[in-house]
Amino acid sequence: MSAKPKVLIVDDEPDVLLTLRVILEASGFDPALAADGETALRRIDAEHPDLVLLDIMMPVLDGWFVLAELAGRAKKPKVIVCSAKSGDADKARARDLGADAYVVKPWDPTALMQTIRDVLAAKNATGTVENIRV
Amino acid sequence: MDVIPTEIRDRIKYEARVAGLGQGTAVSIEAVERRRLQIWVLGGVLVVALSIAFGISSLSGGREGSRWLQPGVLQVALIALALGFCVYAIEKEVHLHRLSRLIVDERVLNSALSKSLQQHSALMAAGRALNSVLDLDEVLDVILASALDMLRASAGSVMLLEGDDALRAVAVRGGETPRNARVMMGESIAGKVARAREPIILNDQMDDERLPGRDKRSGAPGSAMCIPLQHRGHLLGVLNVSAPRARAFDEYDMQLLSLFAEPVAAAIAKAGLYEAERAHVSKLLEAGRQTSQFVASVSHELRTPITSIRGAIAASRVTTEYQQRAELLDVMERQALRLAHMVEEMLTAAKLERNDSMPLLRRVDLAVLIRMSALDSQVAGRPVELAVPEHCEVRADPESLRRIIGNLVENAHKYGAVPVRIVIDQDAGKTVLSVIDSGPGVPPAEREKIFDRFYRSDTNGEKPGVGLGLPIVRGLAEACGGSVWVEDAPGGGAAFRVSLRTRAVDEQEVASVS
Repeated sequence: MSAKPKVLIVDDEPDVLLTLRVILEASGFDPALAADGETALRRIDAEHPDLVLLDIMMPVLDGWFVLAELAGRAKKPKVIVCSAKSGDADKARARDLGADAYVVKPWDPTALMQTIRDVLAAKNATGTVENIRV
Repeated sequence: MDVIPTEIRDRIKYEARVAGLGQGTAVSIEAVERRRLQIWVLGGVLVVALSIAFGISSLSGGREGSRWLQPGVLQVALIALALGFCVYAIEKEVHLHRLSRLIVDERVLNSALSKSLQQHSALMAAGRALNSVLDLDEVLDVILASALDMLRASAGSVMLLEGDDALRAVAVRGGETPRNARVMMGESIAGKVARAREPIILNDQMDDERLPGRDKRSGAPGSAMCIPLQHRGHLLGVLNVSAPRARAFDEYDMQLLSLFAEPVAAAIAKAGLYEAERAHVSKLLEAGRQTSQFVASVSHELRTPITSIRGAIAASRVTTEYQQRAELLDVMERQALRLAHMVEEMLTAAKLERNDSMPLLRRVDLAVLIRMSALDSQVAGRPVELAVPEHCEVRADPESLRRIIGNLVENAHKYGAVPVRIVIDQDAGKTVLSVIDSGPGVPPAEREKIFDRFYRSDTNGEKPGVGLGLPIVRGLAEACGGSVWVEDAPGGGAAFRVSLRTRAVDEQEVASVS
């Protein structure tokens, strides 16, 4: 088993995928990429990432669909929602669907890396409520 | 309710007292007649008594007795008594006559005051009802209900001025006039009343010149009135009422309707102002909503490129690979351009809104321009299929056309579905550029709204954008002397069409000017 935590980056913006991949690699993570919800679910099933950085507004299947799909699973990766949507309703919806944290774009790269580490370090069973950062 | 002035009451009391009507007797024509009869009966009795006395005194003439019973003395006394009674009777008759006239005056006055009171009461009730509503439809409904109730009419309508030369029936109750019926000024009764601004009463005995052919209509009312509604000298419309044949309107009804017309016109004017104010507030609220949506959209749209730029800067600090750094610099440049494009869109929209700079129109080969734009779209990941001729000259600003095509193709990919086609149709003097997608199309209710600034058909904000793409297309198309609209594409999907001026038309214009 790889020592590096596997992080799946899900975003329809190629530039966001590219920059996050570089930052995560440099921060000691093993990044994987998905540009839509359908690809994300396929890669989660195939590669079992430790954490998913999930955008909401995406083509094909959006982030809400991915969250809802993961919510019904017994074994699932940690999820940090990274979205430009900053409304309280969106944050509450993400929390209800089992997201571990919510980060609003534009994120601070250092703070985002810290949030990823915190969420991965959380040992509680569900790892939801205490670790939500908005 | 006592509505008779005290002065008449006092005079009646005085005359009754002087005429000898008892205090407890109700003063009426009947009482006066009874009193008159009493005097005549008394006069009759007196005449009989005097005649008997006169006869007795004549028969006893010359006999011994009291000197008072001498014929001459007795006769003088009887004549004096008769004269005294005549004076009494004449005096009473004078007062009874005055009393009769006063009683008749009292009745007339009472009747007139009662009618006036009824009028005011009806008008006040109608006024209260009118003041209780502001909505124009409700006001019109109250007007008709009140008018019909006050005048015991069976049908009525309110016709309001439409433009300068027509009336439209906006409220109708009973009768034959259909709602929304239109009458030209000067035509029909309503049109004539509106033009002359004079009310009119029409009864069964109307002349054919005023209303030709009316008698031949089935169900024509027995009586009708039409009155102009004016507020501060401005004609607002007319109010029509009609009654069945059993009821004929008179001058009193017309007076009442005239009095009613004033608050009615004021209420209609007030309702009109209320409507205008409501529309204004609604417009302001909509503008506020659009501004909020615009701010939300813009802040949302700014977040994505800023995220990429900040991410790329952070990533370039931690990477050591030259190639990766080059890619990250590309990211920064791309996203900076994206921000610049967004700012440019906002400035263009503001400029078009102000209408302060007209592009310089010149001959442009639309076909060549479309092929160049298609290449740009292809590079940007938005492929298009072309159905354009080799050349197609139009009169426009090439930069505006490039942006029109770019925005329409971007819109087709964002809201429609592939394949996206660009088609040129040329007609005599007209060139229509169409961008056709294969998506769900645009619902009819949204086909104009989508060209409004900041309007987003995607209310969830799932699609990127700030709602300026299509307004810019319309603004630029109009600045080029053209127009833009959307319709269903023949095989499904949306067809955005831009009509442009062709060279041929310009030459015709030049020829016609010269």
